[in-house]
Amino acid sequence: MFIWGLVFGNMGSGNQKLHLAFLNSSQSEVAKKIERTLDTTKAFKLVKSFKDDKGRLVKFDLLSIQEYVKKGSISAALVIPEDADKDPKVGFKLKFYYDPKNDMEMQIIQGVLQKTIMSEIPDLFFQGMKKQSLNYLGADSGKAFNNEIAAVIGKYYKIDPEWLKMETPLNDSLATTGTQRQKEYFQNALKFEQIQLVGKDIPNPWATRGVGGWAMMFLLFALTGSATSLFDEKKSGVVLRILAAPISRSDILWSKYIFNVSLGLIQLTILFIAGSLLYRIEILSNFFNLFLVITASAIACTAFGMFLAAVSKTTAQASGFGTFLILAMSSIGGAWFPVSLMPDFVQTISKVTIVYWSMEGFQQVLWRSASISEILPNLGILCGMAFVISLISLWQFKKGHVF
Amino acid sequence: MIEISNITKTFGSITALNSVTLSIRSNEFFGLLGPNGAGKTTLMNILIGYIEPDQGEVSILNKKIKRDDLETRKYIGLVPQSLAIYEDISGIENLEIFGSFYHLDKSILRERINEKLKSVGLYERRKDKVKTYSGGMKRRLNLIASILHDPPILLCDEPTVGIDPQSRNAIFDYLTSLNEEGKTIIYTTHYMEEAERLCKRLAIIDNGKIIDEGILDDLMRKSMPTETILIKKNPETSKIIDEIQKFGSVINESDHYELVLNKGALISQLYNLLESHSIGYRNIEIRTPSLEALFLHLTGRSLRD
Repeated sequence: MFIWGLVFGNMGSGNQKLHLAFLNSSQSEVAKKIERTLDTTKAFKLVKSFKDDKGRLVKFDLLSIQEYVKKGSISAALVIPEDADKDPKVGFKLKFYYDPKNDMEMQIIQGVLQKTIMSEIPDLFFQGMKKQSLNYLGADSGKAFNNEIAAVIGKYYKIDPEWLKMETPLNDSLATTGTQRQKEYFQNALKFEQIQLVGKDIPNPWATRGVGGWAMMFLLFALTGSATSLFDEKKSGVVLRILAAPISRSDILWSKYIFNVSLGLIQLTILFIAGSLLYRIEILSNFFNLFLVITASAIACTAFGMFLAAVSKTTAQASGFGTFLILAMSSIGGAWFPVSLMPDFVQTISKVTIVYWSMEGFQQVLWRSASISEILPNLGILCGMAFVISLISLWQFKKGHVF
Repeated sequence: MIEISNITKTFGSITALNSVTLSIRSNEFFGLLGPNGAGKTTLMNILIGYIEPDQGEVSILNKKIKRDDLETRKYIGLVPQSLAIYEDISGIENLEIFGSFYHLDKSILRERINEKLKSVGLYERRKDKVKTYSGGMKRRLNLIASILHDPPILLCDEPTVGIDPQSRNAIFDYLTSLNEEGKTIIYTTHYMEEAERLCKRLAIIDNGKIIDEGILDDLMRKSMPTETILIKKNPETSKIIDEIQKFGSVINESDHYELVLNKGALISQLYNLLESHSIGYRNIEIRTPSLEALFLHLTGRSLRD
């Protein structure tokens, strides 16, 4: 409930900001105003530079800002091009580069961005329209048209025609419905060009994006259940029978560990194969890397299950504690909602969850067709987490309740 | 064969075993008799190296054992008190799993599994899931799962809890045959009749202490009066039970009271009491004391307390 509240309750209220890469290449006043507005709005946190390989902060250019999105460092980038206001056929041009790795996040970013621009800078639209009118009518005809309309209205309503001439590109034809030309008129008043940088060729984006999160949640539940079966085996006396044989406690833990990792591998592999057959999720083109992420995820989830068994006293306790932790990890780790929609402190916490790094790994290989070197950080972090959790579990098992 | 020297084990403030010393010889059928919570299972767990004593030491086959002594475990079979078997797989699958822990050759293991299944009458049901077995069948499977590696020592921790008399007898017969084949058996129980029937020598344990040990007849002879008095249960005798208790300790059985006379108590005075309440002599019987009476005599309380 807390996470739902953070995601939906505070949306637009200022507690969390959507991260948006930003590059202003135009010198126009309108561009400066857009930048000022976005800089001060509560909805966005503009990212204008990136860290290069040597850790130095470098301002974006048109290429680097696209690379930044392609690498998955951020989901969207807004670029005000150098010629934003120079095209006579277009009022004002904006370019929006995006990676729809999460549909919900992208829709929210686009919606909030357009709302912010339209509500905070309304004259941008009108200026665009005026420019469009002049474009359609020609400079002289347009001016004459404006003057005559102003004179007529001034005469009937006793208003100073000079005042009416200022910023009024009104044209009867604009209010009528109809032609393609009229539609283009509005579209070209503010041209918001959207360019998808990643995932254009993916057959089923929705399933490809979602499969990782749900896979992780089910895997965590399955492996936690399997690990906590130690309690049932202890209760039934099987653990005692095994320990009466020439088998050590560490043998039992290792065999549980290997069994659960194998179970995780099989479960995830079947899930992805089913996803491939039923929902056209593309797994074969990057299958080896996918298998590496599956393996690392299964190892990490198994470590988590063993940890629960080590710190709990009963099956019921492990089950309750496990359910709480799994749901919490899934929600803040990004299985339910995009992490970027959450407050900064939750985004920081999410990075210590297995779900976050597994989902990132799955997205890297399925969505971005990442290479081994690109997924190495994910694999390393997952295995590192598994190692640390396993050490804690072993320490707990030594003084714990299972053995 | 098994030497237990001055073992003490505490769990928090509870002393489960208090300076326990026992010696069990090879090929013995040794009984450890005591009520629930007396320390029997704790002693078993120390013998298999599952837990370590706070004080004292145990040696098996002339080797001192420690916690997780894997080598010694090859010579021990443990029949746990609970049904330590997987219910959702078949009997034969259970035996294959538990037998595999001892790294036996596959053909030898298969041969032993079939032999043991036949010997306890489970061969025909070997492929059925254990959850379809009766309580007695599960107990038999629980027993043979412990001896697939043919251990010279068998520890039986109350292996007949909750089964019917017929299955219990079958287990008794099987254990007796194993003992006759040369296995050393330590058998814990709180049933007197089991200890009386199976064990040539036994120790009585209560509150973590060995109260007495020895051959059953010797124990009875040295500790007990030569006879106890059985008094039939009926409304008349029940009315005066408080007065009867002044003569000694009373064991309340289902159809009679067993009176273990205090030292110096006179039987003639008991007869006078019964006569004064018009209770005829047909309601009383003089008998050799039972093991239950011995336990009561030694500890001052019934085994079922």
